[in-house]
Amino acid sequence: MQDKKAFVAIIKENEGIIYKITRVYTDTGEDQKDLYQDVVYQLWKAFDSFKGHSKISTWIYRITLNTAIAYLNKSKRRVKQVRLNFELLNPIDKKDTLTEERLTALYAMIKQLNVIEKGIIVLFLEGKSYQEIATITGFSSSNVGTRLSRIKTKLKKTLKTNMYGT
Amino acid sequence: MELEEMKTLWREMSVQIDEQKQLTDALIMDMTQQKYTQKFGKITTYETVGAVICFTIALFLIINFNRLDTWYLISCGIFTLGYLITLPILVLRSLKSIKSIHIGRNSYKESIIGFAKAKKHLLLIQKLGIYCNFILFLTCIPVASKLLGNKDIFLTGGSLWKYGFILITTIVMIFVSKWGYRCYKNMINSAENILKELED
Repeated sequence: MQDKKAFVAIIKENEGIIYKITRVYTDTGEDQKDLYQDVVYQLWKAFDSFKGHSKISTWIYRITLNTAIAYLNKSKRRVKQVRLNFELLNPIDKKDTLTEERLTALYAMIKQLNVIEKGIIVLFLEGKSYQEIATITGFSSSNVGTRLSRIKTKLKKTLKTNMYGT
Repeated sequence: MELEEMKTLWREMSVQIDEQKQLTDALIMDMTQQKYTQKFGKITTYETVGAVICFTIALFLIINFNRLDTWYLISCGIFTLGYLITLPILVLRSLKSIKSIHIGRNSYKESIIGFAKAKKHLLLIQKLGIYCNFILFLTCIPVASKLLGNKDIFLTGGSLWKYGFILITTIVMIFVSKWGYRCYKNMINSAENILKELED
């Protein structure tokens, strides 16, 4: 009972993290809901083994990213998914179309990256330090730095291509 | 959009999101329960059913194996039997290895490596399956003909429609195999690229 209460509180506190990551790894709202449910399920499954050695957010980032990877690998193999009826968070004020456009463009750029880069850029955008990204992803800090600079170059190229169509 | 600009936009979105609370206590617990009940019906259903069918046919073949009385029928029987037993086991083992990747314990990197390797392995088996299916098609006809109709197709021959059927099926299988091979090749390459990039 106590466990359930604590778990629910943690999920409520961090539902934004789950929303942001699941959106990166899915193309439609329905898929995002499926992955969202999957993440909550995986977190619940791993909750007992969470010993508190790391920060709760670190644990959530790790499991959410891992579940996203697993989801990508089995999405084509899904049988029947029982989807709960719930609303996803709304990242912008509905009237603010400019922000909406910029956010759509931002997600589109991230989605063009490969699976390794997606995880790293999301954590970077979340304001995590190289060391924190390294702890969550399992790469070394220097490797995270190298990869981020490659991502930066890649994003610049994508932007150029989108602007000039070449 | 520069990286810093992306970061600012992301931060703005995070603030907006953090102000909202969509999930209720009941919904969160439903999510855990819902997935729990689904888990068992997922992933391996088709493969398990396929494996049971293969093993049943293999059992029938083993029981009646002594009725295959020439070297070529025995050869066809051995290949068919080997296929029916080996391939489903390899596929199920491969799926098991995908399922056994520990999401709760692994780092992101370990998960990517685990999935890419397991996926590559499964794809290689499925690619092998394409070739084997082709041979199986050719070996199971004489075996089935002998065991079900007691006819040695190599000696008695067959009707024109039977040859026509074999010819058309063979042509279709060649095209399907070529298409399948290309698909698997691309997917295996993509898994290999990810693994290669992780070595950098």
